[in-house]
Amino acid sequence: MRKFFPVEELARDERFNKITMRDRMGDPRTALNVSNDAPAKRPTNLRLTPDRSDASDGARSLMHGIFVGEIQALEGAGRTCWDFETGTEAPFALKLDMARQCWDEARHVEISVKLSDWMGGEIGQYAENTVLFEAACSTDPVLRLAGVNRALEGLAIDVFTTMKEFGDLAGDPYLEFCEDWMLADEVTHVKMGSDWLRKITEHDPDRRKKALEFQSVVDKLFSYGGTRSESQESPIGLARRFRELAGFTDDEVDDIAQLSMQALNERKSAVAQARADQMRDAAAQFATSAAAE
Amino acid sequence: MADPYKPRAPFAPWDRRTLPGIFDVEESARRVGNYKWAEMKLFEALGGWVATVPELDVKMRLGTHCYKHAWHAELWHKRLPELREMNPERLTAPANDAMVRFVEAMTEPEAPEQTIEKLVGVYRVFIPRFIAAYTYHLNGTSEITDAPTVRSLKFILQDEFDDWRDGEMILQSLIETPEEASRAAAHMQQLEAIMIEAGGIAGVGTLGAS
Amino acid sequence: MTVSVTPATFSYVAFDAELIRSIAAGLLAALGMADHDVTIDVDETTPLARISCTIDESIHVHVDSGAFEDTRKPRQQSETATATALGRVLLRARDRLVGGFGEAPPDKELSLAQVAAWETYCIGRLQRFGVPVNQQRWRYNFRNRHGFSDATDAAFEQIWTSDGLTWDQLNAISESAAASAHA
Ligand SMILES: [Fe+2]
Ligand SMILES: [Fe+2]
Repeated sequence: MRKFFPVEELARDERFNKITMRDRMGDPRTALNVSNDAPAKRPTNLRLTPDRSDASDGARSLMHGIFVGEIQALEGAGRTCWDFETGTEAPFALKLDMARQCWDEARHVEISVKLSDWMGGEIGQYAENTVLFEAACSTDPVLRLAGVNRALEGLAIDVFTTMKEFGDLAGDPYLEFCEDWMLADEVTHVKMGSDWLRKITEHDPDRRKKALEFQSVVDKLFSYGGTRSESQESPIGLARRFRELAGFTDDEVDDIAQLSMQALNERKSAVAQARADQMRDAAAQFATSAAAE
Repeated sequence: MADPYKPRAPFAPWDRRTLPGIFDVEESARRVGNYKWAEMKLFEALGGWVATVPELDVKMRLGTHCYKHAWHAELWHKRLPELREMNPERLTAPANDAMVRFVEAMTEPEAPEQTIEKLVGVYRVFIPRFIAAYTYHLNGTSEITDAPTVRSLKFILQDEFDDWRDGEMILQSLIETPEEASRAAAHMQQLEAIMIEAGGIAGVGTLGAS
Repeated sequence: MTVSVTPATFSYVAFDAELIRSIAAGLLAALGMADHDVTIDVDETTPLARISCTIDESIHVHVDSGAFEDTRKPRQQSETATATALGRVLLRARDRLVGGFGEAPPDKELSLAQVAAWETYCIGRLQRFGVPVNQQRWRYNFRNRHGFSDATDAAFEQIWTSDGLTWDQLNAISESAAASAHA
């Protein structure tokens, strides 16, 4: 078995369809409210709450996203056990933490399968975006911990908090219960990332800087399209309290909040631009065909 | 109630533990170091394989078992200083070169079609060898002087039996044709041959003088 | 019967207007609605999955591209999703047209619980017409709108297996389920 496993080769059974971030970014459609489009056409509040008319479908789709995210988190933690030589490349205790995370993520996959079933979802029903595992492909274990444990698992904290609130409001007895348990595990995983980042880079400010930059890149990628931010236009909120428990400082949470809003606004202006271009093309086409007649 | 000041035997009639054991401190530490090395290699391989197996149930089992072996490695890591090895890394070593070759051969399969080979290596060769080595240690060591090792061995053996059963049942459900049975047997034979050379997890004499 | 689909060609998604048209025509025939004209207007600029319909001389369906999409393969069309989404609104239109649903509020004024009850009624019938559906998906939706309780589940089963309900009957089942769940 090779060291460092390419994301394209992640093994899946035939129910799954993997897509990349590039595929996702190639989708010109958007669920966001864009001001130059008919203003009343799209809702401004997209936060996933039970009072949304598509709440059940939205929750089911998000649950499938959680499910495949857990698989990739499991795979990523597993690869960190294998890819790095103990002692010379990664401390023994760090690898023990990663093995522990494997067990936790395996449980999360089990929980997500059962919850999906309960919500009327099916395995492989939605395309699987493999961007999460991509963050786990770094050749520096510290970057991996920053990208996966702090950025990715930080996002998991936000997602689980949103889902837990959804379950609570809807009165779903299993959803709220399970999300609360998974949330406890994810806080532990983020804390592992925070602790190891500080410990390993204690005397290596350059490496720490690089790791934090990588985390920021991953954070922005996961905020792509404004999926997660403090704005009600984002389906997923930012869970400040749990992030603090997981070792994020106030400044760090503020940075992520700012970055997410930036991603939301960038996406909105990109969509507005695309719409304007399309209208211009349509007008030109109309003018050409009118002239031909 | 009985008189609390009446002398009682220090070992109750049902406590049949005896003092003698077949390992001295040094031999015990050497074996524990071999165990730790082997458990580490096993948890690393299980973790690495998770991404390579398409079967969802196998993926989840490998992830779960990965942690258990990491925990065993941690128990042995903590036991080493108690056995007078203040630098646990020094004894964290393979029993011999054949053990290194065994792990290399066991971790060779990577392709998504090789789940049978991966599981055969772990559950039909490696884990049975752990069970044998740990049982020999448990039966042979002093129940009184080496009680901490005995306690760890009992916890670990419970895991090994549970995981062996899990793995064996998955294998039985994956092997559906005579050709697949041959594949499993051929791979097992190849690995067993190296393991015989190694003599077991703790090297020649893992199960006593040969 | 005429069925027209706009746009005729899609640029944001790989949908086939003719496939949409033929699925709609098949449903209209199966539902005994062959004497109705239908227009289907697909908003391909959004991946949301909303679908609604207005009725005058014809039935006008307005749908977001997500409603016809194969969720496994983004931007590709799914025949099952198309049939489920169209069947759902066409059955609701049929209920309004054939009578017994005169008391039903306009679509925009339906509460979330009423929408869920009516959808349960539509999808249950659609399954009996042979459209593949995941019943648990709709049960979960019904529970979300009526509370998670045995009474809710019993109400769901009653609606799912019914054929000749009136609006008043449907609404009464929905209301009593919600009341007992929140009691
Ligand atoms: Fe997780
Ligand atoms: Fe996690």
